[in-house]
Amino acid sequence: MSRVDDLPRRTPAQAGALPPPRALPPSLAGNPTLPYPAIGQELAALRLQIPGVHGCVLGGVDGLLVTHNLQNGVDPHDLAALAATMFGLGRQVGYRLDQGDFQQSTVRNANGYLSVYAISPQALLAVVGTDSINVARLHLHAPTTAARLADLLDGVTPTGS
Amino acid sequence: MGNLDIALKNAMSIDGAIGVALVDYTSGMTLGVAGGNGEVDLTVAAAGNTDVVRAKLRTIEMLNLNDEIEDILITLGSQYHLIRPLSNRTGKGLFLYLMVSKSRANLAMARHQLRAIEESLEL
Repeated sequence: MSRVDDLPRRTPAQAGALPPPRALPPSLAGNPTLPYPAIGQELAALRLQIPGVHGCVLGGVDGLLVTHNLQNGVDPHDLAALAATMFGLGRQVGYRLDQGDFQQSTVRNANGYLSVYAISPQALLAVVGTDSINVARLHLHAPTTAARLADLLDGVTPTGS
Repeated sequence: MGNLDIALKNAMSIDGAIGVALVDYTSGMTLGVAGGNGEVDLTVAAAGNTDVVRAKLRTIEMLNLNDEIEDILITLGSQYHLIRPLSNRTGKGLFLYLMVSKSRANLAMARHQLRAIEESLEL
């Protein structure tokens, strides 16, 4: 008898044995009912409050851009996707270590920072800053901004698909 | 970090001490805090005073003074706030932040003691 015969066989899944596909909430991106002016004000306030902040990106956990106030030529769509990637890693760490929901993640490079804050289970706030930014102040202010953004996004009616 | 804990404890034993923090002014984050009360959040104080230190360092640089900060005294109505950057090599980019009550503290003594604590602090 060859060793191959000892291995468990893959059998086709029985109908109904598979878990139902996960029902994802509709994406925030492209939703015309979002309060964009108020969101823009919050993002601008955060940038003004903390010197060295280049801009902020509001994105969904699906990696799609909602809105942004970046002005230094970085592609906001890329940043929204990166923010969702950082969120994904943080969420996985939270699961594995049983530490609860994702809150914040910061990457520091030689010339700058990218911080991602959870706004709600659906939305993320990404902040790009220079190397000389006062991160402690960012960590003090950004969560309150995120909480206000959560309130703004709360009353929004989801659009289809 | 036993050394740091001892230093913070010694700083809290200064007459009139309300709170003390060791702060990294490249990020504004605290490496350690002691004291404080319900009204003052030392991490907020650290982040705010980081901007004070940075502004002064920038000014010194702009004036081409080629010097460094020994300490900064901020006098409030009821408190003194002392900022003392660490001068040794291991403490580069850090400062001690001490809040003392104006009515209970001896400023000269507090400043002297803080200098002694700063000099003995090896990280």
